[in-house]
Amino acid sequence: MRRWRRGWAGDAGTYAALVLIAAFFLIPFVWLFSLAIRTPAEVYLGAARLIPESPTLDNFASILSDPAFLVYLWNGVKLSVLGGGLALLLAVPAGYACSRLDFRAKPTVMMGILAVQLVSPLVILIPLYRWLDRLGLIDTDPAVIAIYAALGTPLSVWLLKATFDAIPIDLEDAAAIDGASRLQILARITLPLAAPGLASAFILVMVMNWSQFLVPFVLLERDGNWPISVAIFNFAGSTSASTTQLLAAACLVAVVPAVVIFVALQRVIVRTLVAGAVKG
Amino acid sequence: MKPPTYRGARHRGPAPAGAPAVPWLIPAVALLTLLYAVPILDVARLSFSDATLVRPPREFSFGNLAQTLGDRALPGILWTTMLFTLASVVALQLTGLAIALLMVRGERRGLPGMSILRMIVLAAWVVPGIANGLIWQLLFSEAPYGAVNSALRMIGLGPVAWLSDPGMALVSAVIANLWQGTAFSMIVFYAALRAIDPVLYQAAAVDGANPWQMTRRITLPLLRGAILVNSVLVTVQTLNTFDAILALTGGGPGRATEVLTLFIFNTVFYNLDLAGGAGLALLLFGLGLGAALMLWRLLGART
Repeated sequence: MRRWRRGWAGDAGTYAALVLIAAFFLIPFVWLFSLAIRTPAEVYLGAARLIPESPTLDNFASILSDPAFLVYLWNGVKLSVLGGGLALLLAVPAGYACSRLDFRAKPTVMMGILAVQLVSPLVILIPLYRWLDRLGLIDTDPAVIAIYAALGTPLSVWLLKATFDAIPIDLEDAAAIDGASRLQILARITLPLAAPGLASAFILVMVMNWSQFLVPFVLLERDGNWPISVAIFNFAGSTSASTTQLLAAACLVAVVPAVVIFVALQRVIVRTLVAGAVKG
Repeated sequence: MKPPTYRGARHRGPAPAGAPAVPWLIPAVALLTLLYAVPILDVARLSFSDATLVRPPREFSFGNLAQTLGDRALPGILWTTMLFTLASVVALQLTGLAIALLMVRGERRGLPGMSILRMIVLAAWVVPGIANGLIWQLLFSEAPYGAVNSALRMIGLGPVAWLSDPGMALVSAVIANLWQGTAFSMIVFYAALRAIDPVLYQAAAVDGANPWQMTRRITLPLLRGAILVNSVLVTVQTLNTFDAILALTGGGPGRATEVLTLFIFNTVFYNLDLAGGAGLALLLFGLGLGAALMLWRLLGART
């Protein structure tokens, strides 16, 4: 009986903490949504009008009917997907080698790839800006995509190594006995089995790219090339109190795709991350 | 057809495991060398130069770097950076660990709702840094209709100068950073907690240990590795924070929240001082490396 009661008190405490923490993490989303569905008049009523009396979708309509805004969204998708795809393309062979091959420099390569992640993009952008300027590649997508790939490769290599490590070697051995080459084995056996890990790495890198601000902010000068992150920052600079609800709607449109994709796939992604974290 | 040769039981995958790794590594390593290693060397080179954003370097000397590092604004910037980083790292780790402990406890007792908590924390993690700054700017808005202040007024508390008071602005920046960054620490600690053998707790319970003793004698010692790795990663991530602060305060009021990354950005892209920015970027790189090595020694030495 005493034990049961102690457990009950502990559960109550667990839930009390859970509610507090959940509130802290949820309130910013709730507030953003609340602002985004208000009329300008209701914005001035503050927290008292958390649930607007006359909720409206006009703010989203005016944001999404702006052709420039759709271009920003498209640019964001384009850069994220291509940058993520390129990162994965480079990371698959590297991750496979780190998992399956014995080579003396392996610890150095793995640590080097990890160390790269500690470098701020700001540091590398200073010389890269100069080089790209001289090559006439400022304001071009390929420059941004290549840098996105470089930013995403280290994480992908680590996650894919952990994924490959978890795939039983026997299957590959069996195929090798049947005379398949390593490339065939990778394409026909290992990669299909690694699909959840590949998908997680791709989604993570894509979401990172979607959030990336500094690289496009520095390298893309023309308005029509901007991804959504740069666009909302500039939009915020040009808004006033009377357009707060539009800024909130724009922020929400920038935030929702990443959050929805991530939350929908969080089970697979967290499993991959946990596997990677335990290994690392 | 010749059967493949095996190199004993040690091999990992289709033989030979000793096949050359270079062709597999070249694409990734080449890109990282071109876009990371060489730029870092170039940053070091440029930091000794007198280059500007629009003019190539003409001369190299120690004087140029010394001038950059002797900037009168720099000590203040570094102090702000240190306060922001230290407060963020402590808050991030404590919150991340608390949530991870909560989730593991809830899962062990079969309590529903734990995955919802995880989902909410993760959702904040994937919010773009720029949007993070803008969202918290809306929350901390000091206009009469700002979220936090108008809520405080409803319960009779005075307005707080979240963004216009220098001290509070730094606190606000830490809160925004905590909101977004906690998920990372949560995942690291959650993975580490799940890897602890439950038999240890059962044995301790048989010996009559209370929950506090179990936390101190089992959980924390076994988490040392995770705390080490997490400290290094979170410290460096926080040092590199740029877009969230840019959007939240822009470094203000005055220079109260101007951390090193913002200072570097302003030096290069507003003052066009490429050499100065390179010197400061070298400093940022060194600080990250130094913090990583120091934490490694501090926490790793005892294991």
